[in-house]
Amino acid sequence: MTRALEVARAALAATDGEAEAIAHAETSGLARFASSEVHQPTLIDNVVVTLRLVRDGRTGVASTNRVDEDGLAELARRAAEAAESTPPDPDFPGLAEPAELPSVDGYDRTTAELGPEEQARRAAEAIAAADVPVYGFFTSGLSELAIASTTGLETEQQMTDATTLVVAADNGCSGYAEATSWRAGAIDPAAVAREASEKAARTNGAKEVEPSSYAAVLEPYALADLLQYFSLDSFGALGLLEERGYFAGRLSQRVFDERISIVDDSLDSRGLPKAFDFEGSPKRRVELVTDGVARGVVWDRRTAKRAHNGTSTTGHAPPQDFADWGPLPSALSIAAGEAESTDDLVERVGDGLYITRLHYLGVVHPREGVITGMTRDGTFRIRDGKIAEPLVNLRFTVSVPEMLREVYGLTRDVSLVNASNFYGERYPYGALVPALATPRFNITGVGSAPGI
Amino acid sequence: MRDLCAVAVAAATGAGAEYADARAVLRRSQHVSTKNGRVEQLVDTESEGIGVRVLVNGAWGFACDRRVSAAGAREAALRACAFAKAAGGHGPRALAPLEAHTGSFRTEVERDPFSVSLGAKVDECLRADEALNGPDVIVRQAAVRAQRDHKVLLSSEGTDVEHEIVECGGGIDCAASGNGVYQLRSYPSAQVGKSEQGGWEVVERLGLEREAPRVAEQASALLRADVCPAGVTTLVLDSDQAALQVHESVGHPTELDRVYGTEASYAGTSFLKPDDLGSLRYGSEHMNVTADPTTPGGLGTFAFDDEGVPAARQPIVEAGLLTGFLTSRETAARIGTGTGGSMRADGWNRMPLVRMTNLHLEPGDGSLEDLLADVDDGIYMETNKSWSIDDKRLNFQFGTQIAWEINGGKLGRMLRDATYTGITPEFWSKLDAVAGRDAWSMQGITNCGKGQPGQGAHVSHGAAPARFRDIQVGVKA
Repeated sequence: MTRALEVARAALAATDGEAEAIAHAETSGLARFASSEVHQPTLIDNVVVTLRLVRDGRTGVASTNRVDEDGLAELARRAAEAAESTPPDPDFPGLAEPAELPSVDGYDRTTAELGPEEQARRAAEAIAAADVPVYGFFTSGLSELAIASTTGLETEQQMTDATTLVVAADNGCSGYAEATSWRAGAIDPAAVAREASEKAARTNGAKEVEPSSYAAVLEPYALADLLQYFSLDSFGALGLLEERGYFAGRLSQRVFDERISIVDDSLDSRGLPKAFDFEGSPKRRVELVTDGVARGVVWDRRTAKRAHNGTSTTGHAPPQDFADWGPLPSALSIAAGEAESTDDLVERVGDGLYITRLHYLGVVHPREGVITGMTRDGTFRIRDGKIAEPLVNLRFTVSVPEMLREVYGLTRDVSLVNASNFYGERYPYGALVPALATPRFNITGVGSAPGI
Repeated sequence: MRDLCAVAVAAATGAGAEYADARAVLRRSQHVSTKNGRVEQLVDTESEGIGVRVLVNGAWGFACDRRVSAAGAREAALRACAFAKAAGGHGPRALAPLEAHTGSFRTEVERDPFSVSLGAKVDECLRADEALNGPDVIVRQAAVRAQRDHKVLLSSEGTDVEHEIVECGGGIDCAASGNGVYQLRSYPSAQVGKSEQGGWEVVERLGLEREAPRVAEQASALLRADVCPAGVTTLVLDSDQAALQVHESVGHPTELDRVYGTEASYAGTSFLKPDDLGSLRYGSEHMNVTADPTTPGGLGTFAFDDEGVPAARQPIVEAGLLTGFLTSRETAARIGTGTGGSMRADGWNRMPLVRMTNLHLEPGDGSLEDLLADVDDGIYMETNKSWSIDDKRLNFQFGTQIAWEINGGKLGRMLRDATYTGITPEFWSKLDAVAGRDAWSMQGITNCGKGQPGQGAHVSHGAAPARFRDIQVGVKA
């Protein structure tokens, strides 16, 4: 039994009546480096338990990391006070019943057992492999999620994850690479650092371009970032029900190029697999876009009840801290295309831009899927079907649906791009995406040269 | 808590640390939100633990333990030392000298927010939520929050300081939809409302229910408003958007850790260089920015930062000239001036980083109406809606929820989907007026992210409406 399930059971035992306890445990290390020196190494060990009580249709939630007898008794008292403070919630679907859960990968004992010496060593491997100063981290961690409920539901999962992220940068140059897996052994920190520093070496002497609409090749890092931001409004049930997202009124319509198919699939072992969500419902593969047609969004039990149309949960209930966001995807995946490589996409573009990575995205118009941000750490001009001179960082303001309306192609290979910045309790997630070439990528401003 | 910190510091120095500090933190927070008349979120959270930071042979290490016990404190200290030794470093690391201080700080609270029942908080939200009802309004939201941090910091140099910081806040938002247009309107600020240090009186002063009908009317009116035209024009920002402009284009770039590149892998660096201190023209003569962790009610107010450096008011930009950076003891030693004083950590399980405290755009003269009166043709923008800025904090693009044309010194037709863009020092060089003290107010930001693993910080910015000439507005996708 996991530590998390022990805590969940103990929290459930500390209260009477209808209740659900969710325990979330983390043991992790992150060796962060800058100027090729580890400067912020952080070890975290925590377990947080969230107790939800139900009293006559009213629910109250409290959480703590004080999991001894006194702490859990106090937790039960606070959750009861919360339940007594709320009016009955007509959208509350009741606590989840036990359900058969899918069998998933996502746990690797070696990764779980990596200690600070090994984490520091892997950071050092990245540092040693780069030709230019590097900034980034190696991290690995074990996360445990367990749920125990008075409905008889009792489940647990151990998840491991590891990421190496490297920005290689010096005066006037910078490059980026990262690798993420639930098996640390699948990541070669030195290879990540080499990819970043080789990219950096090609960015010296960056030029400006005029703001305009360009054809562009987006590496998986860039495409994953855009997709994650687009998903916040458009791939979740609340965005649909509240008419905030692009899919509101557009389900079953052709919205993207027919070569674009997008799913949310936590069962895919190439990603960071999960068996259940934060109310214990089984994770399901959800078709969001199939052959360019908007097919659906992700649901939890509460939003499914609100929809009043027979919709059921897809296993995407968020943690209580993010309840106001509603259910959101956590394992986005864009189907691979037929292009042999990014070079193949560059050739198809002929004249345009090559974009490695994006920075600080902001949603300008959620309903139209308009997002702004900057390119960073490897932006190039494409001329005559080849990558040409490096460019300064560029501001873009794009409508994601317009960008995907027609595409020149997607690569055969997909990459897992980490999407977690490790705020709060560790819950690894990311997106599986290919590189993509689009005829429309709108540049609206010119920024600074790459580099430190 | 003090005893446990002492155990941790002793264990660290016993294991070879040349410097160690230990922070024990007890955090309690409540968040209540309603949507369309129903409770959306009601969470009562507590978190406690001890974080230990060590310096071993010039290398930093940090580890934490949720157990508030001697065993937890000792083990965290030893693990921090082990990580520092494993990580290694490039040699000795200097810290700016610090006289050991003993002291405490407690937020002045008229009404303890945790003595206000959760039921009363739900009622506050439901009343405001109901008052947002109106034509075209499809989503009504209200939220209130309270947080209390009790923390003790001890260091191997004799620092022994204690804080009890209480903050409260709230806000309302609504969305209107019609004819394919979707618009948001919020009060008193977007995203997470407005927070200050203080008790429940902070929420009562907001008057959420009172303001709700105006917010709903404006959301509905925006559906029929024209889109903000594109062009170069005079721009007047309300104090909320001016505060965010300060946060993103002055606060972050003047964090000295970003200047030295230590945040390059996530939040980014800065267009500023250490040598720019005292010589770089940041903006016009009307631009005066001050970091002030002593401002009453500020979310970045304390007596000592998380390295034990006493709070002190510090000019950052004076009459447009860069005269200060936000620093830690380490970055202050590296640049050779200052003492630090801007180190803050998010809770017990994160390492302190250079963060903003309270960073203010100092007031000028007159009122908003006075600023508008000197504009023949321009745009007035209010309440942030979207924000983005590059990794060096130069190229930015912001959007606001609502705007109005300015014609002949008066507000004209309402505009929607307003955006503006610029390059930081160019933009600030076009500042030609800041309204006066009577129009100056403090905005609280509770979602400032930085660091790996990620940390949130709560910071305040005082600002008054500000006027900028020749600004690009109306960016189109």
